[in-house]
Amino acid sequence: MTRVVVLGAGVSGHTAALHLRRMLGKEHEVLVVSPNSQWNWIPSNIWVGVGRMGVKDVTFPLAPVYRRKGITYVQAKAVAIRPEGTAEDPHPSVDVVHTSPEAGGKTERLTYDYLVNATGPKLSFEATPGLGPTGHSLSVCTAGHAVEASEALQQAIAKMRAGERQRLVVGMGHGTCTCEGAAFEYVFNVEHELRAAGVRDLADLVYLTNEYELGDFGVGGMVFQQRGFQTSSQTWTESLFRERGVRAILRAHVERVEPGKLFYETLDGAHESLEFDFAMLLPPFKGADMQAYDRAGGDITSQLFAPSGFLKVDADYTPKAYDEWRASDWPSTYQSPAYPHIFGVGIAFAPPHQISVPRKSPSGTVITPSPPRTGMPSGVMGREVARSITDMIRSGSVQPTHHASMADMGAACVASAGTGLRHGSAAAMTMYPIVPDHQRFPQSGRSLKDTYGEIGLAGHWVKHLLHYLFIYKAKAKPGWYLIPE
Amino acid sequence: MSTVEERIANAPLPTARTLRQRRSIPVQLVRFASINLRMMRMIRRGHSAAPH
Repeated sequence: MTRVVVLGAGVSGHTAALHLRRMLGKEHEVLVVSPNSQWNWIPSNIWVGVGRMGVKDVTFPLAPVYRRKGITYVQAKAVAIRPEGTAEDPHPSVDVVHTSPEAGGKTERLTYDYLVNATGPKLSFEATPGLGPTGHSLSVCTAGHAVEASEALQQAIAKMRAGERQRLVVGMGHGTCTCEGAAFEYVFNVEHELRAAGVRDLADLVYLTNEYELGDFGVGGMVFQQRGFQTSSQTWTESLFRERGVRAILRAHVERVEPGKLFYETLDGAHESLEFDFAMLLPPFKGADMQAYDRAGGDITSQLFAPSGFLKVDADYTPKAYDEWRASDWPSTYQSPAYPHIFGVGIAFAPPHQISVPRKSPSGTVITPSPPRTGMPSGVMGREVARSITDMIRSGSVQPTHHASMADMGAACVASAGTGLRHGSAAAMTMYPIVPDHQRFPQSGRSLKDTYGEIGLAGHWVKHLLHYLFIYKAKAKPGWYLIPE
Repeated sequence: MSTVEERIANAPLPTARTLRQRRSIPVQLVRFASINLRMMRMIRRGHSAAPH
């Protein structure tokens, strides 16, 4: 019997676990370790954050799904990997701390034959003093955070109804944040809600970002081919900001957040401040806090993990100048070079570098989006690693058989810009590949045929469709595997 | 180099016709099919990714 342990039950880990269970015989065990008892379709947290959906619409309990599918589920947080086992037991293992109400705090050592690290991000609010729900700003990173954001938004709307002007700031809470698309989506949903409430003229809506220009989205921007012209995602995004009357502050690193006031440094070295009545600022991401030990108990964390806490995989991590970055730097099998039975997928793998042009302020502050690797790419990585592990178990080889490089993979980003099946709107974008490949596509780094953006009600329908399809798929209902990642 | 305020102020503004089309149910049904076809093509192309 082979035991495959999957750490994390987000898009990547959950997808990997379901596919492993589907492909492996019952003599093998698939075990998922996740500190959260609920699965969360995070893209729809945006709608929770404006009060258009509730927590139950975007979450469901994991345990019944895993019980039905024959997947062992341990509600716990992984804290250490022992890829060589211990002096007493040479079997590779993971140390976990239980998080369920019944067994909370209990520690356990779980052995594995294959390990998939899909722990996702640690929301690093502490990187910016005063940032986050325990500080002075809001977040939509979890369904619970999104509920708080929605309540604060309703309070701001109530004040505007009473005639009081409000400044609402939405964006990135640190110079190295990722997921600019989520903040972009949230700011236009807020704008839509303000109009629906009849208070738009009393709101100063500001999008504050670490992007060098609008439309960068952490992927270095895109070039679209539309109506006989090539246009940039920058112009396309600026048009939406003009149409909706949203102000933008670019190239900003938030240094600290105080009650009603945030302080930020810009790329040109200026230090500015901005007062606010409502601020939803996303945190930067770090890898989960995990240690690694060899058989003798020696610390090998730096061998397995990058300093950011993300797992090192088959990427080229050689430090290079931006001009020397290549699509081939990006990993394709997600296998740890140190221990071939360990894989890192989704946000948990360490990217070789950013996708956007790296930039620093005169004082050395990095103000560059980190590369996004959520949603569609995360699911694909989970599935392909599941296929590789299945083949490796069957053949006894240590060579992965499936590949899913972000430089060979496309992605769709549907950013809702207002809800309602007749009055909603969305900016729907597709890009191929995610990581530009200037050797294959010398003009813009991406296929002009497959990189596209449009705004309209149809995008909103697509976003709705994806919401229901992916929750159906995650619940592993009949035919779930026919729905593509 | 223009500031972001200047760029936004001079960005192309959709015409009334474009805005109507973005909300028109018949037009958007066609766009819905088109977006889904684009996504399916991209999924077919990118999700069977071979090593580069």
